[in-house]
Amino acid sequence: MSQLNQVLFHENSRVGADLKAWESTIGAQGLSKALADTAAIIPMIEQAGLRGLGGSGFPTFKKWQFVAAQPNEQDKYLICNGNEDEPGTFKDRILLQEAPHQVIEGACVTALACGINRIIFYINPDQTESISSMQTAVAQWGDSEWFNKVERALGKPLEVRVMPSSGHYIGGEETAAIESVEGHFPFPRGKPPFPAESGVHGKPTLINNMETLSNVSHIVRNGAEWFRSLGLGEATGTKIYCLSGDVLYPGAYELPMGTPLSTLINEYGGGMLMDKKLKAVFTGGPSNTILTPKDLDVPLDYENVAARDSSLGTGAMIVISEGTGIVKRVAEYVNFFAHSSCGQCPPCKNGTFYAAQLLTRIDTGRGSRADLHALKNLCNMLPGAGRCHMLDGAMKVLTSSMQHFMHEYEQAVDR
Amino acid sequence: MSGDSQQLVNVVIDGKAIQAPPTLSVIQALWHAGYPRVKGVGCLEGVCGSCRVLVRRADEDGVKVELGCQTLVEDGMQAMFLVFPNPTHHHYRLSHIQNSWDLHAQFHRIFPEVANCRHCGGCTKGCPKNIDVERGVALASQGRFKEAGDLFVECIMCNICMTGCAEEIAPNHVGLFARRVTAYFHSRPSNLIHRLEQIRTGELTIEDHDSGQ
Amino acid sequence: MGSKSISYEQALADYRVEAERPLIEQHDNKEALLSAYHPDYRADTMTTLKVGPNSGDQCHRQVAASIQADARIDEADLAGASVVETDVLVIGGGGAGCAAALVAAVAGARVILATKLRLGDSNTVMAEGGIQASIDKNDTPQMHYDDTLAAGHGYGDRSLVAQMVMDGPDVIRWLIQQGMQFDTDEFGDLLTRRAGGTSANRVCYYRDYTGLEMMRSLREAVRNSDAEVWEYSPVVELMVNEQGHCAGAVISNLKDCSYVQVIAKSVILATGGIGRMHLNDFPTSNHFGATGDGLVLAYRLGAKLRDLDSFQYHPTGLAHPHHLAGTLITEGVRSAGTWLLNGNGERFVDELKPRDVVAAAILKECAEGRGIHTNDGAQGVWLDTPGLELRNPGILKQRFPKLLNLGKKAGIDPHTSPLLIYPTLHYQNGGVAINENGETTVPGLYCVGEASGGIHGKNRIMGNALLEIISFGRRAGAHAAERRSLRGHKRVSIDHLSRLRRELTISNMPMETKGPMLFPVCAKFDDDVDYEGLRRNRRK
Repeated sequence: MSQLNQVLFHENSRVGADLKAWESTIGAQGLSKALADTAAIIPMIEQAGLRGLGGSGFPTFKKWQFVAAQPNEQDKYLICNGNEDEPGTFKDRILLQEAPHQVIEGACVTALACGINRIIFYINPDQTESISSMQTAVAQWGDSEWFNKVERALGKPLEVRVMPSSGHYIGGEETAAIESVEGHFPFPRGKPPFPAESGVHGKPTLINNMETLSNVSHIVRNGAEWFRSLGLGEATGTKIYCLSGDVLYPGAYELPMGTPLSTLINEYGGGMLMDKKLKAVFTGGPSNTILTPKDLDVPLDYENVAARDSSLGTGAMIVISEGTGIVKRVAEYVNFFAHSSCGQCPPCKNGTFYAAQLLTRIDTGRGSRADLHALKNLCNMLPGAGRCHMLDGAMKVLTSSMQHFMHEYEQAVDR
Repeated sequence: MSGDSQQLVNVVIDGKAIQAPPTLSVIQALWHAGYPRVKGVGCLEGVCGSCRVLVRRADEDGVKVELGCQTLVEDGMQAMFLVFPNPTHHHYRLSHIQNSWDLHAQFHRIFPEVANCRHCGGCTKGCPKNIDVERGVALASQGRFKEAGDLFVECIMCNICMTGCAEEIAPNHVGLFARRVTAYFHSRPSNLIHRLEQIRTGELTIEDHDSGQ
Repeated sequence: MGSKSISYEQALADYRVEAERPLIEQHDNKEALLSAYHPDYRADTMTTLKVGPNSGDQCHRQVAASIQADARIDEADLAGASVVETDVLVIGGGGAGCAAALVAAVAGARVILATKLRLGDSNTVMAEGGIQASIDKNDTPQMHYDDTLAAGHGYGDRSLVAQMVMDGPDVIRWLIQQGMQFDTDEFGDLLTRRAGGTSANRVCYYRDYTGLEMMRSLREAVRNSDAEVWEYSPVVELMVNEQGHCAGAVISNLKDCSYVQVIAKSVILATGGIGRMHLNDFPTSNHFGATGDGLVLAYRLGAKLRDLDSFQYHPTGLAHPHHLAGTLITEGVRSAGTWLLNGNGERFVDELKPRDVVAAAILKECAEGRGIHTNDGAQGVWLDTPGLELRNPGILKQRFPKLLNLGKKAGIDPHTSPLLIYPTLHYQNGGVAINENGETTVPGLYCVGEASGGIHGKNRIMGNALLEIISFGRRAGAHAAERRSLRGHKRVSIDHLSRLRRELTISNMPMETKGPMLFPVCAKFDDDVDYEGLRRNRRK
């Protein structure tokens, strides 16, 4: 069996916004099973080893247990996070446009498992097609019997809505998403309290990525063992890898979790463009440590990438060949973070802004050794200074680029 | 002299590990340790806003933006200078605002980003002079320029609020605009005008006689 | 000096706040006190100039060394330096430079303003007191004129002073038009207060922030004008045309360590004072950039200087703690009745005597072992703020919030603890000689503000500095702008340096020191590897 597109991107799943088409393939089978035994859902997700596929890798069942444990006679919220805004990540839009029912069904199963009655599909406003596809799909579910069945099982009124997010990168952060749903600017909040206890309007709130939720109905339908067997090695399930940059065939590939980086690049990506040498890979964010040619063998799952001091992140793999300037790329990404900083924490906004200015100066040949020195100092001082992890991510990519490619920085200031 | 026994603190300034007496400012400590420092140094009295430094203290989690001439070194402190040009992209000339009735509209044309203030509070939090910057911007946005400007009395134009603003509002320039239009349109001191008239008509002149010294 | 003096800790332990203290010394013989202790009067601080247009004149030792120093550059340094042409080049980004640039730009001239640090980094921003302008109904420009000349011991240039005092009210109007606020009464009339040694209420002000308010308005106005601003661009040399007239300047760009030759029809020097030369090792209240560059540049080009033996030492500069040393404590604290006490707790001078007398009396106490010294080598006498508070409960909070703020930064509460003070180098009274348009004796070269001389004679009254910078800044800007119709220079060079070097050699002067100094010694500019590019030829 081909290892490509086995579940989420399978043709049975990518049926578009027509509910009838979904029902005619595999649709609603998982939901029916879930309705029959809601108590069995969380143990099954635990056994399956499903993890947060938005970047955290946090065991999904644990989050669910927290929310399920909160008293049921109140509203509980599920935010289906489709804020997707980071450079190099483009999986949610495919899921939402081509397989909207898959995520809606997953959200319904999740709601049943945790006693959630308010479901919000929170989608990047720039992805207008995703929003309209989801609106169409949700409307069809409303006209069908399914929401009524879920509502009866829950014993409280169900509300499902599609909501454009603010479009700010920071709006993808959990607590920022909550602020946004409440109608405010997406400022990250301090934790605790954790969203599971006190989220939207102080109610228990679960936030999962679209890809995570898309897997749920399949797990319930086919069982935990099936899901475990999809992954390679210790890893479970599949992962959508967003491959971009200097490869022949960039694109989103659903592959077994743990597929080696070299397989992704060479077999699916068709190898390096014009057979140039691989220089670096920016992973998921791009707010992580850079991977280099010596990491080509790394199996792309959470543990193995972490063992290389990096992180799988969203699964975005931005591949850079010799001939592309690292400084220019890092300048671009740090600039992105500088513009994305929400403003609440002065060191984050000022620090990323300063770093971006220094990088641009160095990249455009106007930099000095002193600028390089200043960048290093920023990398030493700033991590941990922000309320959320954005600043840390920006500093991580900067730090690792300076570790691996100092000679390029030095060339840039000495020319 | 007992000066030798004075205890020293360990600090890292711009990546350089330095030992200095705790009575020195960040700038002075750098000089004290023999390092050159020219950029980012100004009045040394906390009114010119040149010496912005990022500061991380040993016993604190966060990082603050402060003034290097006003911040004393402490044991375990890390500091680095933030020296970068940040001209505002807002341009206006007072003489181009023909009519003060038009001021409110002109303000929003010159500072269109003010309408986007997300009230994150970063400007106020970062201000080394403890100005309620965000409130000042809000007042200016409502056309209450005198009130807004009065909040910025101690503003030293260090630009920390400007580089810290996620919407690129340039709050310090908003505050200064509020102050300047208040003077330009509303300050008409009659004692000054009378004196100017006395000089114009030649009523008052200087007679050059020996001043007695 | 001060070796037998009392330690800070001991003096603080001995200090008692008291409601009455006798004055133990009258200092009736002012001349004897000054000549023994005031730096300007001490024979060992002065020297005679050997080269240049002021040869034979008395000059302060350190200033003399600076204006008779070798240049920083050779012609070879200019290889590859780009050339830019403009009508008016303003050097200095303080109040005087901004006023000149604004007026010249409005008049239609192409203007470049080059400043060593950032626009607005200057002594202007630190001026607290206010600006003199004869506006009060009980005042006249004539009284302003008389006061100014009298304070300057009669050494001021009469026509310059006359013009400046008549400019006063219009200067205030112009500043309001730039968006500067002043304190006003309930009817919107300008409030005025009296400066020491003057005969009427004449100082217009904005709280304790007059200079800051002026500078930020002017900076914003310049930023929004057609004048081009070059920051971190100290001038290292002026340039001359074939007739020896000023024809531009060589500017070093600290950002990319390169030189730029700016060819200009007029050059306006607005470089400020010399506090950071730390004459006789005095602390200073001056800005970091106040290193007297303009004096050096103008003198080399042949411009006449004047009154270079006269500086102002403000009696009450903070001496402790170290990081605030030199910070000025406003004269208002003394005029409110605060006493000065030596280490034995004695009142040794009438605090309301003129600045030079009070400063000399403090120096005398320190010299004779009655001063107070700290561990880090500072010395001084007490400013008895607790005594003032005892006699006038609440006065510190009500009238001197800025002093309390300073106390907070120093970790000293002026309510309960006296402050250690020592005279601080405050102002350069003399400077480059100018005419009514701010023109120096070298055609094409103007000089305005503290760098110029002639207004204040040998002593300046509070508030005249801010008036001078705007009055002459505007006049020089307007006059220089008119020269834009002149034909361009045929040949521009730094040939005047050869003449300088010949003169220095013939007079057996040391050539090791290079000028202008650009930055205070403590900043170690000449050792800073970041600026290595500016020293290519000097290292050979």
